[in-house]
Amino acid sequence: MKEIRLPDTVPLLPIIDPWSQQDPEGPDSTRVYEFYKNLSEGRLTVQRCKKCRKIFYPPQPACKHCYSTEYEWIDVPKVGEIFSFTAMLLGFPMVFETFAPFVIAIARFGNYPENGVQIAGMMFDVKYEELKIGDKVTWDILRIRGPGEKVRYWYYFKKL
Amino acid sequence: MRKVAIVGAGITKFGRRDANWRDLVVEAGKALFDDVPNLDRNEVDSLFVGSAYPERWANTAHVAPMAAELLGIKPRRIVAKVESACQSGAIAIRYAWLSVASGLSDVAIVLGVEKMTSKFMNLTQSTMYIVGDREFDTVNGFTAPPFFAMVAQRHMHLYGTTREQLAMVRVKAGEYGSENPYAQFNRKVTMEEVLKARLVAPPLGLFDCSGITDGAAALLITSEERARKYTDTPVWILGGFQRTIHNSINEAGEIADWLSLRQLAKDVYDHFKITPDDIDIAEVHDCFTISEIVEYEELGFCKKGEGGKFIEEGQSYIGGKVAVNPSGGLLACGHPLGATGVRQAWEITMQFRGQVPRKRCVAGAELALAHNLSGLACMHSIMLYSLKKP
Ligand SMILES: [Zn+2]
Repeated sequence: MKEIRLPDTVPLLPIIDPWSQQDPEGPDSTRVYEFYKNLSEGRLTVQRCKKCRKIFYPPQPACKHCYSTEYEWIDVPKVGEIFSFTAMLLGFPMVFETFAPFVIAIARFGNYPENGVQIAGMMFDVKYEELKIGDKVTWDILRIRGPGEKVRYWYYFKKL
Repeated sequence: MRKVAIVGAGITKFGRRDANWRDLVVEAGKALFDDVPNLDRNEVDSLFVGSAYPERWANTAHVAPMAAELLGIKPRRIVAKVESACQSGAIAIRYAWLSVASGLSDVAIVLGVEKMTSKFMNLTQSTMYIVGDREFDTVNGFTAPPFFAMVAQRHMHLYGTTREQLAMVRVKAGEYGSENPYAQFNRKVTMEEVLKARLVAPPLGLFDCSGITDGAAALLITSEERARKYTDTPVWILGGFQRTIHNSINEAGEIADWLSLRQLAKDVYDHFKITPDDIDIAEVHDCFTISEIVEYEELGFCKKGEGGKFIEEGQSYIGGKVAVNPSGGLLACGHPLGATGVRQAWEITMQFRGQVPRKRCVAGAELALAHNLSGLACMHSIMLYSLKKP
């Protein structure tokens, strides 16, 4: 008989890491690398087309409307409004289970849809019962530390 | 285009099964072959496997040839696995219909199968949440229940839909599911049980959500020329369309209004020159109680915003305006992603044959609609089935 020994743990693999792509090793890792770079510098940004002047999100390397590849990154306004909300109380994906439960909201920032965005975000310092549609919220940067020394950035919502 | 019919159908028990992906394929195959004793398996020239994520939940890829071998068939026209998340099975039927209608395939099997339960339910959830735009939307911590909960919040806010009306959809599902031995939850459920159940994503509780389920279903599909060889009661696939107009939350607009489904339904009704009133049975994608309410509206069974009233008045029960989900739907049957769309076609086949228990049999039904959605309600499909030859 021969025995092989398996490891007890394996690293956090990309297929279960929610922020797998937000680990920009440099501008070559994704064509919208700037989005993540901006987050790490405290800015939540969306693209605005230089040709048709329309906003688009999620990020992609050509304008959704006219398909021009000339665009700029503009800041999402700091104050938005809750469009809908709930809380995740049961059935968590791996990794999320380590900091669940939490509130989830969809909020509108700016003059959606013409000149604004409708985005989802987690909320940590508020209870579901304390929210209603139309409440004012702001976004802030979420620092994700780990595993190990790894640091990545996303955003979350805070009730105003 | 040739006329195409379902001439055989088989199903497994849905639920948390002591069976793996391969076992489920064989079980559904056995049920199908028992249903069509005149089938020589060498006649099957095509296989369409609707299965969403066997790569993650069965740790197996390239499943179409494996399924063919497990079924003991050697297809020579098209062999394909079809992935479209929650409507993988429905889209597999569309491809089989297209292939037989075009004349490329003569005899096709559609197999819908999913193995979702395991000791690692968080891994199942880790796969469910990437069905949305994981990088930019569902990375905000949500799987399907929180999204549909937010749809419910909007629907209640805009149209005054009540928590009780949501629960009524589940009570109806239990009413019919209790008469469906293949259903995962084949028992009646009281209003109180639904309202007092543990919350998953408020306002939705456990009973407002379809199950995480193992199961499989299979269909034999052929053209008019051969149909009578296999059955006396072919179920004609009239056809239907599919539509997506957005994927991300940012492009979704008002999430309580499913414009893609509204446009799709109109497209289908216009093309086939029918109205919602002509539909006798609607097997719709009630992945959550709120889904069915929005679907009543967008499918044109009632006015926009009146879905809650529609269930409250009992209009979606057998004997009402249209029998919606006499199988028990996803809420009672469970929702093994790849199997669900095929299970709906199985149900319609059994209804047309009169082979369902009397209490949930839609007597005299001749025209049925099957609706499926996938992702964050961003893509929809409709198929029409007829007992009368088109
Ligand atoms: Zn543009």
